[in-house]
Amino acid sequence: MPRTSSGKKVTNKTVNKKDIAQLLNQWRQEFAVLVPSLATGVARLASWDGTDTSFMDWYRNTVIPPKANLLPPVEEMFSFHKDGEGYHIELPPSDGHQQLIFGIRPCDAKALAILDMTFKDIYEDPYYLSKRSNTILVGLGCTNPYDSCFCTSLGSSPTDSTDVDLMLTDIGARFLVEEITDKGKELMANISLAEEATEADEARAQAAREAAYNKVTRQLDTTDIGQKLLVNFDNQDYWEKIAAKCISCGICTFFCPTCYCFDINDELVKNRGERFRSWDSCAFPLYTKMPMENPRLEKWRRVRQKVCHKYEFYPIDFKVVACTGCGRCIRLCPVNWDITQALANLPAKVRA
Amino acid sequence: MKDGNIEQKLQSEARALLEQGRVDYIIGFEVGSLKFTTTPLITNNIADIDRLVINPFIVNNLSVYLTEVKGRVGIVAKGCDSRSIVSLIQDKQVAREDVVILGVPCPGIIDLSKVERLAGKDRDELDDITRNGDRVVITVDGNGREFPATEVLFDNCLGCDFPTPKEYDVLLDVSSPLVSDKAASQEKLDKLKGMAPEPRWQFWASEFDRCVLCYACRNVCPACFCQRCFVEESEPQWILPVPRWQDSLMFQVVRNIHVAGRCTDCGECERACPVNIPLRSLTREMYDLVDELFHYQAGMDKEAPPLLAAYEATDAEDFIR
Amino acid sequence: MTATDISHRSRFLAQGNVYLPHLAVIKKIVDETGDTKTFHLNFKDDKLQGEFTFNSGQFALFSVFGIGEAPFVISSSPTRSDHLEITVRRVGRVTNALHRLGVNAEVGFRGPYGNGFPLDLLSGKNLVFIAGGIGLSPLRSLIWNVIDNRDKYENIDIIYGVRTPADLCLKYDLESWNKDKTLDMVTTVDEGDESWIGRVGVVPAILEQVAPSAKNAVAIVCGPPIMIRFTFPVLEKLGFAPEQMLTTLEKRMKCGIGKCGRCNIGNLYVCRDGPVFTYAQIKQFISSEY
Repeated sequence: MPRTSSGKKVTNKTVNKKDIAQLLNQWRQEFAVLVPSLATGVARLASWDGTDTSFMDWYRNTVIPPKANLLPPVEEMFSFHKDGEGYHIELPPSDGHQQLIFGIRPCDAKALAILDMTFKDIYEDPYYLSKRSNTILVGLGCTNPYDSCFCTSLGSSPTDSTDVDLMLTDIGARFLVEEITDKGKELMANISLAEEATEADEARAQAAREAAYNKVTRQLDTTDIGQKLLVNFDNQDYWEKIAAKCISCGICTFFCPTCYCFDINDELVKNRGERFRSWDSCAFPLYTKMPMENPRLEKWRRVRQKVCHKYEFYPIDFKVVACTGCGRCIRLCPVNWDITQALANLPAKVRA
Repeated sequence: MKDGNIEQKLQSEARALLEQGRVDYIIGFEVGSLKFTTTPLITNNIADIDRLVINPFIVNNLSVYLTEVKGRVGIVAKGCDSRSIVSLIQDKQVAREDVVILGVPCPGIIDLSKVERLAGKDRDELDDITRNGDRVVITVDGNGREFPATEVLFDNCLGCDFPTPKEYDVLLDVSSPLVSDKAASQEKLDKLKGMAPEPRWQFWASEFDRCVLCYACRNVCPACFCQRCFVEESEPQWILPVPRWQDSLMFQVVRNIHVAGRCTDCGECERACPVNIPLRSLTREMYDLVDELFHYQAGMDKEAPPLLAAYEATDAEDFIR
Repeated sequence: MTATDISHRSRFLAQGNVYLPHLAVIKKIVDETGDTKTFHLNFKDDKLQGEFTFNSGQFALFSVFGIGEAPFVISSSPTRSDHLEITVRRVGRVTNALHRLGVNAEVGFRGPYGNGFPLDLLSGKNLVFIAGGIGLSPLRSLIWNVIDNRDKYENIDIIYGVRTPADLCLKYDLESWNKDKTLDMVTTVDEGDESWIGRVGVVPAILEQVAPSAKNAVAIVCGPPIMIRFTFPVLEKLGFAPEQMLTTLEKRMKCGIGKCGRCNIGNLYVCRDGPVFTYAQIKQFISSEY
């Protein structure tokens, strides 16, 4: 069932859709505002130009997930140069600017909460976490999920407000605005164009939540999925069949909002250089290659790794499946490899 | 239109191939998990054969699987795909006797992004897309609107010279003839050719700025069959495998050079690109250059040596003498 | 949060950033075999050198600036830590670059990472070290650590095998251990040569011949994956329970701290939950993933 709002006894607010530009401009005084944008040629979150609100007509998710704003495709870790005294290492200048992501969908917000677990685990990752602590999330509920969406099978919904600071639900000409965290409350503190939500507004919002929930048609049964994958780990027949049409590119992992694997490389020009990290994928053959052997030379082992990491291994460590059902992997895969089909075909019992 | 007769013929041919043990695997298309999508079917199981389909959405170039599926294969191939198969035979990546080519004369494949633009809706919001000869009917919310097929076919289909496979073992019937629009298919390239070098460079720098080096373009391409791609070498390191536009552009340019004479303009690289980089504007340019300089088209003659692996005494350059 | 206990780990962060290397200087280079060298290093910062501690079995990531980083288990013992030692076989980009460096060259150091060997588990037990090829190097730190605290442990057996006599590594250590009456050392080669008078046979086969008792014993195995895969069944045959078998594993690594995703075996990361594992922990995945 769709979750209702945070459950706290506060009066929610509403904001008129035609006032959004004004609202964003107010926030722009303090934050760098990111909105869904096609300006770079592909749907992603990008800097708001101050006037264009055509993203309000979008009712669907971006192609590039918000993880790209916190874990960029390529990122400098530090630079170094050598002089008479030896090497000197310098961190890149950190701007420490606050960023506001406007219009993040519940699946992507949950994905950030999942990424946080890895980047905080044992050793803190300063690059991701500094951006994360400087990011405030204004969530936008979906009204029209794709046929590839399956968030409802993974403990979320098109209007779930759990992982954002402020949650907007579409109720026609206006948004219902819920302050989820203290940061969200502060955001709305001086917004004069917001009104108090009426009972009718709340009812409309609840109807919108239910309608959106019911529009999600793709289902995935995740009951005991970790256990099912465990017993099938060595079921080579199944994995080979499942992996047959995969072409081992990086699309599913790069555009997945919860995938985080990265590569580290150095570049040197004369005596100066940098160390970068960049997106990497367990789908690539070289990912696990060692000089003398490669434990995942065969494609079926890599496909198995991706599926098991998300649905079996990650939950062992962090108690959550590393997938939020955003559906990008299904939509963007050049051969229409579909994880919901792959998992639905998982044998319940391993053949003796 | 589901081309029912063609499908039945294909299924009976494929079934016979498996039953008689003439192939180990069948590679074809089946209905995908998204509306108006098909997906590759790779199977050695006769029970799977009745899932094979032929429809206006069979876009993949299945020959990409020939270098990894073991044994003899019966493979569904459109015009461009069959040329890719011949090209692989020329490169000795697959033996002619190991492939049974089930040729599909292609009427052109429907580009869903063009349909979405015309309909103003996403693919999953459309009721139906039907091809009727040189027209296409797109039905949204119960209302059907008709468009010329030339407005919804892929650019490379509009410019295709060889929709019917020349190399085949079985040739299925034509469902409807290809509709061409050479001008439309060359439009993007002509625009680029009309640009001065500096703005053209800026164009590509900005396009490749969003490349994330997912390598989908390389991995869907049958001509990219190298076990280890040059980007995966570390000693020496040709490009830094990080997605900066210079490295991404360099990767694509070198890839184009490597597939010159092998590329059949199947358009898969551009279709696969998740960030909408117009890769075909590079690959087709190379394709045209190969034709212009060498009077050569990829995959037309399985006995011919690969283009850039052959030298004729009459060739213009003399550095090799 | 993962269940891995990190309370015993040392943390030496440069500028508070776990990805930033400290600077270390190569003080001495020993040629082991044709493609293997041992490097002796000191931190550039004397204060850090004085404070630095680690556990046997922990590893660190060494940078050749501009080329890259690679993980090596620290092969010197924490009981003899006026300098650090690593043994490097030349197999790829970073290791080739390391081999080209000379004395006084600066490298980066990030660590120590990983769990190291559980000394409390080994205390009071008979120890059976089984090493193949350059796999001796990760065990070396523990072996010297144990020798330097000899009375804490019972019998010590060391079984070491290489392909040919020319591949023998750490010869000066082998000499010391051969002379040490408080332990039993067996060296074997897969193929002998004219001068070789010792045992001939692969490590798992020699292990079966030596047949160390499993009673109150712990086996510590390190070597190429194929050797490890064949050694475990022999130990099982000799009566070792999966919890009595330790190994230290190696996988392709980049971050070393459980973030970049690539060194996993199941839900375990070699860098975060290892590199030391019991056979019980990895039994399920060892044939497929390693």
